[in-house]
Amino acid sequence: MSRLERTDRLRHTSWRRAGSHALIYLVLALITVVMLYPFYYMGFNGFRSLDQYYAGHGFSLASWRNLFKTLPVGRQLLNSTIITLSAIALILAVSTTAGYAFAVLRYRFSRLVFLLVIAAMMVPLQSIIAPEFVNLANIGFINHRYGAILVYAALGAPFATFLMTVYFRRIPEDVIEAALIDGLGYGRVFLLIMLPLALPAMFAIAVLQFIQVWDDLLVGLLFLQSPDVRPITVGLATIPSQHLLDVPLLMAGSLISALPAVIVYLIFQRSLISGLTMGISK
Amino acid sequence: MVRKTMMVVLVALAGAAAVGGSLAATSAKSGNVSLTLWHNYGTGGNAGATVNLVKAFEKTHPNIQIKVVSQPSANYFALLQASSISRTGPDLAVQWTGLFDLKYEKFLLNLKPYFSAAEMAKVNALKYMAPNFDPSKGFLVMPLENQFYMGFYNKALFRKAGLAKAPQSWSQLYAACAKLAKIGVTPFVYGADPQSISSSPYPWYDMSYLMAGILTPAEWKGLYTGQIPWTSPKIVAQVGKWASLPKKGCTNKDVLTKTNILGAFTKGQAAMISDGNWDTATFLKALGKNVAPFVLPFSDRPQRGVIQYSGDGFSVMGYSKHQKEAVEFLKFMMTAPAQKIIAAAGLIPDIKGYGTTNPLANQMLAFVSKQGLTPYPMLDNVVQPEVVTTGMKQLDAALGGDISAQSALKSLKSTLDQLPAKRKGPIYSG
Amino acid sequence: MEAVDVERPASARGIGRLRRPPRDPLASRRRRAGILFTLPGVALIGSLLLLPIGQTVYHSFTNWDGISSKWVGASTYSHLFRRPEFVQVLENNGMLVLAIPVAIMVPLSVAFLINAKIPGWRFFRSVFFLPTAVSWVVIGFISVRFFADDGILQHLLNDIGLGSIHPNMLSHERSALVAVMITFIWSMFGTNLIIFLAGMATIDQELYDAARVDGAGSFTVMIRVTIPLLRRFIQFAFIITLITAFTALFSLIFVMTGGGPGYGTTTLEFFIYEQGFSTGDFGLAATAGVILFVAVAAVSLLQVRLLRTED
Repeated sequence: MSRLERTDRLRHTSWRRAGSHALIYLVLALITVVMLYPFYYMGFNGFRSLDQYYAGHGFSLASWRNLFKTLPVGRQLLNSTIITLSAIALILAVSTTAGYAFAVLRYRFSRLVFLLVIAAMMVPLQSIIAPEFVNLANIGFINHRYGAILVYAALGAPFATFLMTVYFRRIPEDVIEAALIDGLGYGRVFLLIMLPLALPAMFAIAVLQFIQVWDDLLVGLLFLQSPDVRPITVGLATIPSQHLLDVPLLMAGSLISALPAVIVYLIFQRSLISGLTMGISK
Repeated sequence: MVRKTMMVVLVALAGAAAVGGSLAATSAKSGNVSLTLWHNYGTGGNAGATVNLVKAFEKTHPNIQIKVVSQPSANYFALLQASSISRTGPDLAVQWTGLFDLKYEKFLLNLKPYFSAAEMAKVNALKYMAPNFDPSKGFLVMPLENQFYMGFYNKALFRKAGLAKAPQSWSQLYAACAKLAKIGVTPFVYGADPQSISSSPYPWYDMSYLMAGILTPAEWKGLYTGQIPWTSPKIVAQVGKWASLPKKGCTNKDVLTKTNILGAFTKGQAAMISDGNWDTATFLKALGKNVAPFVLPFSDRPQRGVIQYSGDGFSVMGYSKHQKEAVEFLKFMMTAPAQKIIAAAGLIPDIKGYGTTNPLANQMLAFVSKQGLTPYPMLDNVVQPEVVTTGMKQLDAALGGDISAQSALKSLKSTLDQLPAKRKGPIYSG
Repeated sequence: MEAVDVERPASARGIGRLRRPPRDPLASRRRRAGILFTLPGVALIGSLLLLPIGQTVYHSFTNWDGISSKWVGASTYSHLFRRPEFVQVLENNGMLVLAIPVAIMVPLSVAFLINAKIPGWRFFRSVFFLPTAVSWVVIGFISVRFFADDGILQHLLNDIGLGSIHPNMLSHERSALVAVMITFIWSMFGTNLIIFLAGMATIDQELYDAARVDGAGSFTVMIRVTIPLLRRFIQFAFIITLITAFTALFSLIFVMTGGGPGYGTTTLEFFIYEQGFSTGDFGLAATAGVILFVAVAAVSLLQVRLLRTED
């Protein structure tokens, strides 16, 4: 028996493997509890009335009724949806076109412009929020959803552009050359060849940005001031002083505001993880 | 096939983008004016009064609708200011008087052109709503109510603990705390106040009485100008005594994070609370004859001051496109039906000639009229807002035991020192 | 064949004009297309990201209040650093940096467990990444319930008999910051886990086998082989975590503590909001904003430099 075979055989003794597996499962299970506890907490307490919450048990839809009375939930969910989807559409439009230009068209100075776009990734929202607010106020974009959409799009565009550029660079040149020789214009090459090939990356960006925009607070808080244009996350954060910390109400609100992003994540998680991985492993 | 569906989804997204840009702003029917009103009253008595005032106003002015928006009190002023810069804010908004409204003076409409001298004379203590505290310059806020900062105590619990009356000085307070602790209640409950502009306790109710215990109303100007520095020994001593109340077992342990202190008081879990008078309706409903007001006994000799002041009201925002109609609402507030609504909500009318049937309110008014106590304004309305903000953080930290009273007051002093001279000169200015 | 230009000198005509490569018209078409395609992105990013940062830098030298401004020069910077609260704010950011090693080591260890690819590993990976989909607002609410004096943590302590200890973490400046840090670490767990798993996926299986042949046990393999190969990913995770800590915690702090008690949980990012929108001093907020930008830019450039040296 070779040394390799012997060590392998020892290593793969079933009892030993079972033992180490059990230990691993234990640790992972523990961590699962820690990670999932908030959802459990939200779920249970969201379905109790305030008195039931203090008592520690019970089931009731009273808090949900209160939630709908306190916030225009339906309206704010609609706002969240419109704002998020619009921002994603804008980001995809802008990042695919720019990524195509940087990766394929490569005109003079394109490297410089690319660096500028990447540099924009370093700008923290907090640093620019004040001038951004005043600028948009001066052109009357405050309290309108399109103002917030533009800001979200601008915030997500640099990283999305970076990702698309990386992705487009991977597409073999000869495919493009062949199409050009066939007489297709650059525009049609983009629409008919690049976009279809880029769909996985676009989906990854869409999912990532969905989570970012849906869950944002600051932009929504400042740029959308009336409750009827606010997204659900902002609406949730502005409950507290109206209701003396009615915990079940907050939990019901948390549940309904967290659910869409969580559902999107669960459905598209493969896409999201592969997208992030691709960007990292460059 | 998958690619096709993905393309369809993306086209749908593009469609959503087109839709998303359009905000259908419902324009008011011709002839109708639609106003927005922001308040930060949460669910207190003044919130109810506001809503009822608006309802009554709309009945008598059928072509004006007012949308009442309750903004979270923790960020109310930040939002109001931001929306003033973008000129997208409300037409009417709650303002706190004194130096608070002077801070936002450039955004508020001066009401002088709309009110006659006789009307202005009917408003109590108008000077605190005027630019530079000078009523001849006009005024910026129509007060909603006359207010008190006050202590409230539960008479039944006091009797149970063997206390005949409310404490009037530090030593009596310590004695009362000991007896109340023995019967198993929180002697004095502190915590988050729903109407405070933060989610921590609002220290300025107490601070007003602390300063009333050692300074005359005229001397309070010295706190504004810096002539009496915040770090004076007697101030440090006073605040030190207050900050050590938790350590002496006089309060609950979680002073900075306890929520629902009103609930603790109304349920009889706490014997004393410091609050404004805007919750008296709640107290009366829960405790009836067992609740009574008392001036906070933060003094070595019996406390001779009472904090009485019209702390808030409504302003018309300068960028409002419907200033005339908004002013109509303010004028309506001065009428008899409006004052009755205010009194019915348990608040104290601030227009001369109107009274209240709220027994607690009348007891509080009697402090000045019958017992001859000295009225003081609310301290946070007559010192600079920056100092108030610093105080909110640092005084709370002192109460929580994180820093010493000396440290907290040093921060207040340094905040004052950093302000330009015209913000702490002989004339009050924002 | 172009007409010969006699008016223009030979140099302008270009000596090589006759020898211009036949793809030349394509090149200018390409350039035009390129500019056209980058225009939307540049317009968006330029007007909404680059312009405001320029304005921030400008206004950091003024006393802007949102409406009018007056140049005051670098005195804003010196004033800012002299304020004791600002020093505390910077200290708070420093404390956040201390959380990063923990935010790295825990997911790294768990990544090893998941990488063992025991049956069901995909489920665990899915679950662990789930918190990233949840908004900081919601996380903040739950966190408040956890750390409150009558909250989940206290109940746990009571249940195991340590009920006499009242950490009451949200009432004191230092402990409130620790509570925020713990919440932050919890939340970064999934993101960093994915980063490390991605990294482990790039390691060649042969390297493991080679190490095994040499008689290395699992633990030694981990230390000597995997971690050095993951260095680039660990650096990346460090940078991401740092930037998140400095720029993405606003919502969490807003909901959990409002920056308090005192200035205990006011990080630089929260301080900017407070100075600008609560106090109304946009000039000061801009000054602090520049400092934040410089810090983030420095860290990002560091990452770029590190990646360069790797390749």
